[in-house]
Amino acid sequence: MANLQDLTEAVIKGDEDKIKLTILELLNAGTPAKEIMDDGLIAGMNIVGGKMETEEMFIPEVLMSAKAMSAGVEILKPQLTDEENAASGTMILGTVQGDLHDIGKNLVKMLMEGAGFSVIDLGTDVPPAAFVDAIKEHNADIVAMSALLTTTMPKMKETMEAMENAGIRDQVKVLVGGAPVTENYADEIGADGYGYDAGSAVRIAKEYMTN
Amino acid sequence: MTTICSNQQALNSPLAKKLSEDQCRKLYWACLEILERTGVQLFEQEAVDLLKKAGAHISDGNRVRIPAGLVEKAFATAPKKITLCDRNGKRVIQAGGHQSYFGTGSDCLNILDHRTGERRQAVLKDIEEGMKLCDALEHIDFVMSMFLPSDVPQETLDRYEMEAMLNYTTKPIIYVTTEFSGCMDAVKMAEIVAGGPDALAQNPVAACYINVTTGLRHNKEALQKLLYLSEKGLPFTYIPSAQGGVTAPITIASTMAVNNAGVLAGLVISQLKREGAPFIMPGWGGNMLDMRTTIQPYADPEKRGQAIDFAHFLGIPTFGLAGCSESKLVDEQAAAEAALTLFTDAIFGGNFVHDVGYLESGLCGSLPQLAICNEILSWLDAFMKGIEISDETLCLDLIDEIGPEGQYLDCRHTLDHFRERWYPNLFDRSSYDGWQAKGGKSLGERAVEDVDRILQEHKPEPLPKDIAKAVHKVTEDAESKI
Ligand code: B12
Repeated sequence: MANLQDLTEAVIKGDEDKIKLTILELLNAGTPAKEIMDDGLIAGMNIVGGKMETEEMFIPEVLMSAKAMSAGVEILKPQLTDEENAASGTMILGTVQGDLHDIGKNLVKMLMEGAGFSVIDLGTDVPPAAFVDAIKEHNADIVAMSALLTTTMPKMKETMEAMENAGIRDQVKVLVGGAPVTENYADEIGADGYGYDAGSAVRIAKEYMTN
Repeated sequence: MTTICSNQQALNSPLAKKLSEDQCRKLYWACLEILERTGVQLFEQEAVDLLKKAGAHISDGNRVRIPAGLVEKAFATAPKKITLCDRNGKRVIQAGGHQSYFGTGSDCLNILDHRTGERRQAVLKDIEEGMKLCDALEHIDFVMSMFLPSDVPQETLDRYEMEAMLNYTTKPIIYVTTEFSGCMDAVKMAEIVAGGPDALAQNPVAACYINVTTGLRHNKEALQKLLYLSEKGLPFTYIPSAQGGVTAPITIASTMAVNNAGVLAGLVISQLKREGAPFIMPGWGGNMLDMRTTIQPYADPEKRGQAIDFAHFLGIPTFGLAGCSESKLVDEQAAAEAALTLFTDAIFGGNFVHDVGYLESGLCGSLPQLAICNEILSWLDAFMKGIEISDETLCLDLIDEIGPEGQYLDCRHTLDHFRERWYPNLFDRSSYDGWQAKGGKSLGERAVEDVDRILQEHKPEPLPKDIAKAVHKVTEDAESKI
């Protein structure tokens, strides 16, 4: 008989088949979908996150777990109420205008998706207005901006101003990151948070969703 | 000036190789296959048009598939040797083949302040001091800005960098600019210093460092710079940054194939724009992303050597990368990584070897670390020399004359030759007591003192006042446009 512990371990191993099978067994046995999600999948991903921060697990392994977990979430989704589904959150993500660095941003995207967020990726060289439009269109919870150049960091501020002007600043949490960005800079431009790597980005985004 | 050159005397000076000629050929064919089959995306219309006219296949507007013959043709006109001059027009760098020159990296956001020991954001003054130090250090052959100035308007920071380099050292320059307009302004400044566009093309004092998004995706600014500099006949690097496991497959061979397909695409475009355009390719191959920390490692052992072999096979000068470290401090790791990477580039024969003195994977720099690298380069300069085995150097007559019981300390021959041997400057060879008598200091502490002394004593030759003023005007003009 499958239990939640098996599911957690399958997430850590990134074993997609095992995850799907275990979820079906658990659902058949009458385990509530919400419990499978929280105490099986998310619990597993939390352990993966921890192992990533202590450098026990490498990024490709983490991504494998994240991908496997997403496959599990797909099965669970129809079983969850709208309210339960919404809890995971929608994130708008992009590298700011003038900046083409996207490796860090892509890592953030993949880990966010692994953590159950739905991520709208606007790509690189994203003008402030495009962020604003996307927030409106997708009714986003979080906006995440990446910048790798001191010359493009000011675009983060401009994007904040554009959100302000469009009257949507208070609807979203703003998260910033990238090598030259600092906690101080995030404070200075009035962003809600700063993440020094993709793992911390996930941690902070999750905090926003639980509060 | 360093005279490091591997393979300089047949079988008589150090030389290393990782790839055989057939391996290079296989890699080259892989690049050609990628160009013909997968093609590259070019975000600059003029480049697409040039290739179309030359016979390349265009689809989706900017996806270009380049036939192998165009690449072969480009090799016929690309120079195998590239000259850079000092600020006075002296042709001090002849890079190509196995001849190695060493220089700093650019744009470190932070500096490990040698006066306070604190890590802080870099400012313009740090670049000025860095250039002064480079000007004095014997084994630094060319300069890049070292730091990124946080205290100037960021839109024009590249103009301030170029100005500081031109003002505080006479050594050749490799400049980086964020956008295309900055590149044109850097050329403008170099032309003022050289005495006009023709003088600069003949005796270039500066080369441009161009980065490209990935091997198969070429951003607009990169192509604009390539076309502009090719037309002017000025030297530039063309460095796509395919990263194994992220923007290219994780294996070294495959990352190199993807990256160098991009290099060859750039080479073809440059030679189509102007035959003979001086083109410099990357001297490291198989960049990775550290899958534990998500850092791009600079001192990674596995990316070293093979790209230099490949460039020698193609006959194109390289932009090497060494003297750098992942360490956050000027510590044992920093010294070890700097020494090992400089050693490998010297022995393989990289040409313009940059990033000397980098810490923290390119995000921090340190003047004492640069002084330590200068000492390592001095060691390498001595190591890389061939040994003369001749009647003169064997001096059998002298051996016979002195006989088994004599000694050589007070011989004329010893007096004539002992200064030919290498002596350290920063590395310590004292006895324990002697070392203590000098203060019992570590290498790091001695390097700090050396830097302080040089900054106090060394006076770089200033730019003539009117020239400095004209150069500054370029910065002012750029500023007034924002
Ligand atoms: C790879 C690279 C490139 C590649 C980018 C390829 C690509 N597809 O992204 C190429 C070669 C194209 C490139 C180009 C340039 N680059 Co560059 N590049 C780098 C390098 C070496 C590594 C960046 C990287 O990918 N790191 C790996 C990733 C995983 O790390 P990361 O991006 O920092 O992301 C992590 C965190 O920061 C965080 N994070 C990132 N984004 C976000 C967002 C949020 C919301 C959160 C919470 C967290 C977060 O999580 C990520 C994962 O842990 C850095 C040096 C460095 N050490 O950072 C220079 C560097 C950033 N580049 C620099 C420069 C100068 C340039 C160029 C201007 C050079 C030129 N003239 O051609 C151009 C600019 C092009 C442009 N318009 O954008 C300078 C920056 C100077 C400055 N002004 O600030 C640097 C610092 C190098 C240096 N010391 O000179 N570059």
